[in-house]
Amino acid sequence: MSAKKQEVNFTEAFSELEEITKWFDSEDQLDLDAGLKKFERGLELASELKKKLAQVENKVEEIKEKFSQ
Amino acid sequence: MPEKALSVGEYLTLVNQTLQCIPSHEVIVEGEVSDYRVAQGKWVSFDLKDEEAQAVLKCFMTTWQLKSPIEDGMRVQLKGAPKIYERFGTFKMNVTEVAAVGEGALRRSYELLKKKLQDEGLFGEGRKRELPRFPERIGLLTSRDAAAYGDFLRILNNRWGGVQVLHAHVHVQGREAVGDIVGAFQFFNALPAEKRPEVLVLTRGGGGLEDLHAFNDEAVARAVYASEIPVVCAVGHERDESLADFVADIRASTPSNAAERIVPSRQDVLYEIGTLEQHMESRLRDTIQDQQFSIERVTNLIGFILERQKDRLSRAQEGILSRVNAWLPRLSDRLSGSERFLRQVDPKRILARGYSLVMAGGAVVRDAGQLEVGGEITVQFATSSAQARILRLKDKGQQKLV
Repeated sequence: MSAKKQEVNFTEAFSELEEITKWFDSEDQLDLDAGLKKFERGLELASELKKKLAQVENKVEEIKEKFSQ
Repeated sequence: MPEKALSVGEYLTLVNQTLQCIPSHEVIVEGEVSDYRVAQGKWVSFDLKDEEAQAVLKCFMTTWQLKSPIEDGMRVQLKGAPKIYERFGTFKMNVTEVAAVGEGALRRSYELLKKKLQDEGLFGEGRKRELPRFPERIGLLTSRDAAAYGDFLRILNNRWGGVQVLHAHVHVQGREAVGDIVGAFQFFNALPAEKRPEVLVLTRGGGGLEDLHAFNDEAVARAVYASEIPVVCAVGHERDESLADFVADIRASTPSNAAERIVPSRQDVLYEIGTLEQHMESRLRDTIQDQQFSIERVTNLIGFILERQKDRLSRAQEGILSRVNAWLPRLSDRLSGSERFLRQVDPKRILARGYSLVMAGGAVVRDAGQLEVGGEITVQFATSSAQARILRLKDKGQQKLV
């Protein structure tokens, strides 16, 4: 079992970042206030994702059960 | 040759009797089938050959004796009784048992099973599922002694981190392999959702058909098919194929390739994150710049309008001034003309020359006829006036009061 509970779900964070980026492309006239807020959130997500990427370990767990039928 | 000669038939009977001395129940002959024919749906004939020694054994049997189908190119083992047919003088083996062995036979049964599963729709593209983009839990089905195990984990670690690998040690060849693999599929699929892997990898190194038998086994193919968890299958080298490959959601060419198909590489994802960041930033920057431009444009426009109004004002001023300048001298000319004229007609000037003005009853007297004797008149001089009384009047005769 992974010892530490993962605070960030990579898939969710990445999807959110993609959503935000898509939002920036969605309209010609961006609302600057909303844009700044989203940008800030995007940077936050990106930094969390990068932090997760720095995590290099994969954990292998052996399954004890016998499978022979 | 005085001794008694045997007839051909007698001789062949002797040979056949001699041939029966061979313990046919114990002797197994192995070779490759060629020129396989069935006559009248009953009589089976084929040649059994050695590839190297160029030896041929003519074989004969009935279709009822043939339990499993054979065909050209198949390697078989058989038992039978050798015999010379008197009528044609040919030597033949009367086959009693035949069984396919080796690659040839396995290839055949592989093809038959492949066709069956294909017809059943187990390989359908429509049922292939997509893998999660960033899996966090992977179920690995392989032998811990296999090179595939190390290859898979090495590439996995090179590319990605933070993954939990649940390793089910299964035999990938030998008698236990099929049971192990099917059991492991059942185990993973029975796990509760929070422990269940998001993807299963069934892998082993390459090999011949005999080595891969478990991966070509119907039970394994059906276990892959039945798995609720998406399955990546990777067998051996690029060119190796197995039935499990075809049923799997993803067919990877090698164990390393399986790892590549399951997890992205850190570099790629880092690059992608960087690109997303840059894109957001540039879009935001564009927006800010756009708005700056708009403000500048409005400011410029206002400035321009003001400037134009100022221009119009000063042009109007100039116009007025130049018009004024044009008609002012004329006006003053006319004014001084009028003045001169007025000055000339001023009665005071006439009076100053010594004339007087007679007024009666407030009005200027132009005709003495208007006057009455004894009437009072006012005589206006240049500097002052005097009151007088009319003493005399003459008709038509003008008489100045000087």
